[in-house]
Amino acid sequence: MKRIALLLTGLLLLALMAACGGQKPAAEKKCGDEGVICIGLVTDVGKIDDKSFNQSSWEGTQQAAKEVGALEVKYVETTDAKDYAANIKQFTDQGYNIIVTIGFGMGEATAEAAAANPKVHFIGVDQFQGEAIPNVAGLVFHEDQAGYLAGVLAASMSQSGVVASVLGTNLVPPVVAFNEGYLNGARSVNPNIKIIDTYHPGGLDVAFTDPEWGATTAQQAIDQGADVIFGAGGNTGNGALIQAAGNEGVWCIGVDTDQWETVPEAHPCLISSAVKLIPPGIVDLVKMSKDGKFPSGNYFGAAGLAPFHDHESAIPQEVKDLLEKTKAGLLDGSISTGYNPG
Amino acid sequence: MATDTTSNETVNRTARYLRKAWQGISVPLVAVLLGLIIGALLLLVSGAQPLSAYGALFEGAFGTPAAIQRTLEKATPLIFAGLAVAFAFKAGLFNIGAQGQLLIGAVVAAYVGFSIQGLPAIIHAPLALLIGGLAGALYGFIPGALKTYTGAHEVITTIMLNYVAINITDYLADGPWKDMTPGNIVARTPKIFPSAVLPSLGNIPTGFILALLAAVVAWWILYRTTLGYEIRTVGLNSSAAQYAGIRVAKIVILSMMISGFLAGMGGAVETQGINGRFQPGFNTGIGFDGITIALLGKTNPFGVIPAALLLGAMRAGSSKMQFSAGVAPEITDVITAVILFFVAADIIVKTLIRQRGTDDDKVTLSTGWSGH
Amino acid sequence: MELTAVPRKISTNWFIKNRWLVLIFIIIIGSIAYAYAVNGRVTTAVLASTLRQSTPLVLGALCGLICERSGVINIGIEGQMLMGAFLAFMANVYLGNLWVALAIGILAGALMGLLLAFMSVTLKMDQIIGGTVINILAIGLTGYFYISGLTTQGKFQPFALGPLAEIPLIGPVFFKNPPITYMAIVIVFVLHYVLFYTRWGLRTRAVGEHPSAADTVGINVYKMRYINVTIGGMLAGLAGAFLTLEGVGTFERGMTNGRGFLALAIMIFGKWTPLGAWGAAFLFGFTYAIQTQLQFMGVNLPPQFIGSLPYILTILVLAGFVGRSRPPAAEGKPYEKEGG
Repeated sequence: MKRIALLLTGLLLLALMAACGGQKPAAEKKCGDEGVICIGLVTDVGKIDDKSFNQSSWEGTQQAAKEVGALEVKYVETTDAKDYAANIKQFTDQGYNIIVTIGFGMGEATAEAAAANPKVHFIGVDQFQGEAIPNVAGLVFHEDQAGYLAGVLAASMSQSGVVASVLGTNLVPPVVAFNEGYLNGARSVNPNIKIIDTYHPGGLDVAFTDPEWGATTAQQAIDQGADVIFGAGGNTGNGALIQAAGNEGVWCIGVDTDQWETVPEAHPCLISSAVKLIPPGIVDLVKMSKDGKFPSGNYFGAAGLAPFHDHESAIPQEVKDLLEKTKAGLLDGSISTGYNPG
Repeated sequence: MATDTTSNETVNRTARYLRKAWQGISVPLVAVLLGLIIGALLLLVSGAQPLSAYGALFEGAFGTPAAIQRTLEKATPLIFAGLAVAFAFKAGLFNIGAQGQLLIGAVVAAYVGFSIQGLPAIIHAPLALLIGGLAGALYGFIPGALKTYTGAHEVITTIMLNYVAINITDYLADGPWKDMTPGNIVARTPKIFPSAVLPSLGNIPTGFILALLAAVVAWWILYRTTLGYEIRTVGLNSSAAQYAGIRVAKIVILSMMISGFLAGMGGAVETQGINGRFQPGFNTGIGFDGITIALLGKTNPFGVIPAALLLGAMRAGSSKMQFSAGVAPEITDVITAVILFFVAADIIVKTLIRQRGTDDDKVTLSTGWSGH
Repeated sequence: MELTAVPRKISTNWFIKNRWLVLIFIIIIGSIAYAYAVNGRVTTAVLASTLRQSTPLVLGALCGLICERSGVINIGIEGQMLMGAFLAFMANVYLGNLWVALAIGILAGALMGLLLAFMSVTLKMDQIIGGTVINILAIGLTGYFYISGLTTQGKFQPFALGPLAEIPLIGPVFFKNPPITYMAIVIVFVLHYVLFYTRWGLRTRAVGEHPSAADTVGINVYKMRYINVTIGGMLAGLAGAFLTLEGVGTFERGMTNGRGFLALAIMIFGKWTPLGAWGAAFLFGFTYAIQTQLQFMGVNLPPQFIGSLPYILTILVLAGFVGRSRPPAAEGKPYEKEGG
């Protein structure tokens, strides 16, 4: 019995310590006080270091926190989509006044949390706002335009007349937008170009985390003559980029962020990335929140092509000119990407 | 489970019950403790504060009524999935397909929920639950029938059918059953009507109560009915069952269907109680969680409940842990693995706490692999 | 059929007995030749992709097979693969040598195999639980300790096997590959030989079929199981190393994506034989490659339909042609030495 008693005492102690461990020492100022800025971020299903939109959102949030002098900046990773609301609540309960939520999937949970916490500003990355909610700004991007530019670049650089895209799932609207833009951009340069595009056939949980599928698919496309690969699908797309890097005479184009920074293994082939600049968008919105000018509805962040980095000299001047011209045309509306999410 | 009826001394009996109860819970308790200790060591190695991490974990799981509600909500589908796997185990079947059956149940319940209007809640909600469960049962019927009539091993077919179910439900949510509300571009079904929603009784989700009921019913079928006796006989030795005149084919199919029904109902409860609609990407990996829970609960329907609560609590608390202590949620997986290890390797634990080994509660399920 | 130790003669009888197999084989060869004549480039690309997709699957299946042949169920293949992939990647990052990294990946698998052997043989734990422990543990450990932003020195690149690589179709598909792919093919045949034509194989199967009988003739059941399960772990580690060192070149959390469980299905599909597993893995790899190819061709179907193809096809083939399979008899039961 002694041992049992000892054990129970141990358990009790542990529980007690656990109960105490959760309490923080009282700070002078805390989140929720007047004039204090606290920024929280809730990831879409996935990790904070996903080399994709969760990561760049977090980078932007940290930067924004620094610029507005936020007291606290924290994140919570979502492991199951049904935890969105609970994870947001984690921050609203603690008096956070700016909350960044990521991914179209969290749109509904964000709207609900916004209604329950009218004083908190919500930044919804990739969340298109059908109806404007006063305290929600959807940070959205013209992915189709970035994709269009990538398509123009791909078709211009292709020798074989075959280009490919290796994509995450078609269940995610921004991925489809990137690809539709890419297809039409490539066709605008060369109407006869052959484009092979493939979506990952698995569910949402694996579509962005299957680099080996991305790599095999890229190779299968390369074996059939594709010489530019557009990898657009988180780590799945990254697998395609790295695979392309192992093939002579094949170029690749990354997605979301400047992947020169995130996938160094792809340097040999990476001529550019179709980027949507999440960090500056978040910084802008956070600043506006601080200045009392927080916008509601959709806030369009910048989207376009990343620098060519080491391959600057490999891109002919006329291609660069064409890209500039296309970019201008997309901006003033004289060029349409042909993407219509309907 | 045998009670000694020859003794009339109630005191003696109570003492025996207490000892028995202690024997029942001591191993899991010590296993949890050891799991937490090993987890703490890992946290220390990685430079985190174990006490504040566990404190936040505990607070996030049980600290407030809302936290407890979340723990129960998390545990609910885990109980259903665990019951589904455990039930099939009893029949000597290894149902890796709880994931698929749950998804099908969830999407069908959503369909019933959003397509039928005007029913009173007292009919609509149970109807959606029932049809969701039946859809799961139907999806469980496939591997059962394939096994019976073609000999195709259920481990293969259920794994394959999981992938197919993901594809079917994704397609439905992005195609014919897509939410056509203006402005929606997301793959998801419309919201179900309020009459199909399962309410919460205070802080206790109705789904959780249903899960408890399901456990009771599963136990009752297994241990109090002829069917259950036949199922367990087939599970222990299918050829002996055959000689004894049990129609093994019928039992195999029926067990898979009941298992599928449990999983499908779990999906329906998720749709009607938590999500309010079907949206791809929910409850991924629940099938494997179901296996873990069935094993932790020693494939006993009542053992499944505490196992699911344990996992549910860790899942519910992990976001608080990340928020307050900055610890990534994966650490709870490591803790789960260690707990499972010590629950199964009770020989170690019993030596540790000097408990006499009793062999009657030894976990053996592997007949499920090579049976039939 | 399972227990014959002496080399079996292939007679006409064999062909009649396996007429379905032979028929399917002929149909497959015929269609490949036809496809090659129509479009050589695409056929080559699809078959190369087939081989590649089948490699981690067959290695995983062989892992499961060698464990189960000695009587230990291994549903921890997924976790063993993941650990192999992770540690091979870490070694590649910090040591910068692919071959050393490969060795470490295999070693990681071996350790996970040893853990399974310890649980199932020494502790006599339920083997399904043992495997599940490994799976959860691997997901937790790799997920917790992985740090993003690490870069490796590259990955294994394909090299041609001299003139063999010049053969049309077969050359580029089979003889122009990176090392682990070659290893996988060699291991299939070696394992087949070892399992069915050597003393060791006979003992392994005896331990898996009838351990007490094996014990009476002086075979050390525990030792055989320990060794086989550890070797199995090494194969799973190799499969994991394939993913990080040869396939992708980097690691991602959960990158095995269920391949370990597919491997389990493939092992059963192949009726617990190395060649059978190879065939099943090939079928799988092929359906994957075809599914990609259908998208390439712009077939106007939702990707979800095309995506279900491999799984539905597997079920059909399994139900229609393969049918019942019998696992090793003593599988899943911890062996208790009598009287001691």
